[in-house]
Amino acid sequence: MKQHLQRQSGVANVEVSLIDGKVDVTPKEDGQIEPAKLLKATYDSGVSVAELDMTASGRVVKDTAGNLSLQIKPNQSFVLAPNELSKGLEPLVDSATVVTVHGQLFKKPAGKQKKADASAPLKLLILEVKKE
Amino acid sequence: MNRKHFALLLLAGCVFVVPKLEAQIRHIEMRVEGMT
Repeated sequence: MKQHLQRQSGVANVEVSLIDGKVDVTPKEDGQIEPAKLLKATYDSGVSVAELDMTASGRVVKDTAGNLSLQIKPNQSFVLAPNELSKGLEPLVDSATVVTVHGQLFKKPAGKQKKADASAPLKLLILEVKKE
Repeated sequence: MNRKHFALLLLAGCVFVVPKLEAQIRHIEMRVEGMT
């Protein structure tokens, strides 16, 4: 799985901890990393992803559907799952301010009968807004 | 160039070299199951 992930574009380094099932991915500076592709690559290597967390910096925007999103690049943004922390970012919509957030991008649904859909659009549930 | 203009130029230069927080994905962490 480590080699599978390391081959993905934008990945600088992958650290796997077999004891607690943790995989740390360090992105390259080029900003080409795509979490959805990492998720798919992990599934393709025969391992099931229970949770994917991400720390990212970007601008707060509203997409065409009116959803609050974190825009990393003009062609890469993540819709924010509504919570108190995402509400707190609303005043920054369309401003030039770059915020750094830590959040959950994917969580395997509870229950054995439900299968996680890796192709479903990922929503970022903000867990922490970092002060920089 | 007088001193005032020189000072303004110096100030403007300082503003432009201040490192700007860049938009990017900084870290990804996954918890996986079924790894051997």
